[in-house]
Amino acid sequence: MATPLHITNPPLVCWNCHERTIGTHFCPGCGKLLQLPQGSDYFAMFELPRKLWIEMGALEKKFLQLSWKLHPDNFVGATEQEREISLQRSSELNDAYRTLRDPIARVEYLLAIEGTRKNGENKQQAPPELLEEVFELNESLDELREAKAEGSDTALLRHKLEEAEKNFEEKLAQVDAELQLAAREWDQVIDSAGDETARRKAMSKLNELLNRRSYIRNLVVNVQKELL
Amino acid sequence: MGRIVGIDLGTTNSLVAYVDAQTGEPKCIPGPSGSTLCPSIVSLDPDGSIIVGEPARRRLLTQPERSIYSVKRLMGRGPSDVQSELKLFPFRIDPASKNVIRVQLGDRVFTPPEISAFILRELKNWAESHFGEAVDRAVITVPAYFNDAQRQATKDAGKLAGLEVLRLVNEPTAAALAYGLHEKQRGKVAVYDLGGGTFDISVLKLISTGEGDIYQVLSTNGDTHLGGDDIDNLLQAFVHEQILQHDQIDFSPHGELAQELRKALIDIKHQLSEATTATLRFPLPNGNVFVREFTRGALEALIRPVVDRTMVPVKLALADAHLKPSELDEVVLVGGTTRTPLIRRTVQEFFDRKPHTELNPDEVVALGAAVQANILDKGVKNMLLLDVTPLSLGIETYGGAVAKVIPRNSTIPASAQELYTTGVDNQTGIDIHVLQGERELAKDCRSLARFALRVPPAPAGLPRIEVKFLIDANGILQVAAKDVRTGTQQTIEVQPSYGLNDTDIERMLEESIEYAEQDFAERQLIEARTEAETILKATAKALANPQAVQLPVAERYTLDASVAALQEAVKGNDYKMIRRQIDELNRATEHLAELLMNTAVQTALEGKKLAEV
Repeated sequence: MATPLHITNPPLVCWNCHERTIGTHFCPGCGKLLQLPQGSDYFAMFELPRKLWIEMGALEKKFLQLSWKLHPDNFVGATEQEREISLQRSSELNDAYRTLRDPIARVEYLLAIEGTRKNGENKQQAPPELLEEVFELNESLDELREAKAEGSDTALLRHKLEEAEKNFEEKLAQVDAELQLAAREWDQVIDSAGDETARRKAMSKLNELLNRRSYIRNLVVNVQKELL
Repeated sequence: MGRIVGIDLGTTNSLVAYVDAQTGEPKCIPGPSGSTLCPSIVSLDPDGSIIVGEPARRRLLTQPERSIYSVKRLMGRGPSDVQSELKLFPFRIDPASKNVIRVQLGDRVFTPPEISAFILRELKNWAESHFGEAVDRAVITVPAYFNDAQRQATKDAGKLAGLEVLRLVNEPTAAALAYGLHEKQRGKVAVYDLGGGTFDISVLKLISTGEGDIYQVLSTNGDTHLGGDDIDNLLQAFVHEQILQHDQIDFSPHGELAQELRKALIDIKHQLSEATTATLRFPLPNGNVFVREFTRGALEALIRPVVDRTMVPVKLALADAHLKPSELDEVVLVGGTTRTPLIRRTVQEFFDRKPHTELNPDEVVALGAAVQANILDKGVKNMLLLDVTPLSLGIETYGGAVAKVIPRNSTIPASAQELYTTGVDNQTGIDIHVLQGERELAKDCRSLARFALRVPPAPAGLPRIEVKFLIDANGILQVAAKDVRTGTQQTIEVQPSYGLNDTDIERMLEESIEYAEQDFAERQLIEARTEAETILKATAKALANPQAVQLPVAERYTLDASVAALQEAVKGNDYKMIRRQIDELNRATEHLAELLMNTAVQTALEGKKLAEV
């Protein structure tokens, strides 16, 4: 089953004039700003399919267009309820743009709305094939901390850690490349209206890569902190 | 509804501006002295009245214990935050201050928002005198790097001054707006804003769309305690030391003499922006005069650390915008301190581009605020500001760590939802601690607020409370909570860590009435009645003159009718009606005034009003 392109909720009713509305920002009946329909997501907000490749120029253009319409500046003289709706709508728009603009946040969000990943979840288990290197890295980090505390020479340890950092940075680049491939696979599943098994497979691949990425990223940050 | 203005509430000077309806251009409004700058100085007169601006400046010297400057440094801060400032600024903090600082002026104590409100009220009066109409709404600018508490304090000050604050706009963004309007700039712009007490750097993208121009802030950074004041402090400490060595005079940094010296040194600093040398002549209490020649080079060596400090936020802001210095299309200098040649040179070298200085760096922020005020007032907009939150918003988690929920430089309004549950059976509350800042530990971030979620008794892990954190278009946090299972909203009592709560504000509003002058309409009424009395007296006197019989009967009839109408109007409360009748009577007495003049003077005084003859 393909991901629906647009909001699939049954037609909603305007909070002001009770006109039936669908997928618009302003009520066709009375022109009031509408609340975001329940179940709408960031992709739908930009009228995009749930695909991971996004044309950034078009995304920005849409963002600016919607900002122009939804921003609280437009509702300074309006009723409190309208001001409230504008605040909600424009913050959701900004949250959506911030998420979709960033390739990693975009994947995390997709997995969250597809139910594969909990929001903010980051598994901190070392990927098995990295265990040995991680163990070695942690040892070097401990040694550096000790050496610093004792005030002894750290030059050699620093050099070793810098090498390790470079090694993990390369691995990070590798994961990013793999993520791109996996994203393309996901998009193909969507395009070809792939079955549930194909979707699951593409998603679990993305999820695993994200966990790997977050783990390596943390390692790099930790090393950088000790080397400062 | 009254008029709307844009206000730059500065550390050193404050300004008020509006958009001229005819030309569409923003303009600053001058005060009684003719200057558009209102020094941000407040003094409490022994008779209990409040003196603001230039007249208060003298009192800094004569009554330092009743006067205060640079109060912006204290906005939204707690007593423990400002200990380092106390060495350099003559702030007298009430030792009983708890989460909000209380400053002593004479025998009274005021919070920083109350003192700022005095300045805002003064500017409101300037504008009302200028328009001849009431002013009741404003857009007020704040440093882009101001945190939630500092913004809230500014908003509170507006409320206490009787102004509805329609929006807080970041100072560099306001400046970009004024420049964009003036120079028709497009592309990526860096705004370097060094004022009296604060430093901001903002990187913006100016985009033309079919509907109008969008000013999108890409990133911002800064230091809310870095500015011209710091340069003055360096100079003052330097000369203090010299006087101590030469004349063995060690004066208290807060006394009258220190204030005199500071004033003299600020003057030297200003001179050295134009000339390459300047001489300080400072009379000392022992009868000696301390004389020293300063060169621009020596000043620059002294202040270089301050200038270098500004370049750290500049680099961070560019990194967050993913831009190299060479990728900027324009650089704009804002704030009085950017008149310093060293700063201009440093910025020019860094960006490899001549910075814009065309608009008056003191006025440009107020002008931008006026433009935004006009947009919000008219509801017809031709431009839109998309600003960002300068600091990440975080929630304290286990072990005192901080989980970031809204990253810095997110376009505002911005929001984040977090789901909370309980850890033990029948737990009835969950404590939430909200922070702002980039550090990983709660103790290193700025505490914004604490509140408790109410939870219906249930087995551990079953309750689901969704909390929504929302940063509004002013950069101020709002919190809402909802029980996911029942859908019930709960109102949250947020206890600000460094701010006034609603009860404080209500009480201060009541107290402020004591200082508030009469309401605008009342003041106008008094003025109009006084003027009416003057002209009525003058008319009666003129009519008693024998020459008055020359007046044709028809004119005499009109004149008498005008007098009666004005007398009637004065009994009422409508100042506009009184003004109309004054104008009417002035017209009706023109001929009479001419008659009363002898022919020689008559030609010279043609068209004069009777009261002026």
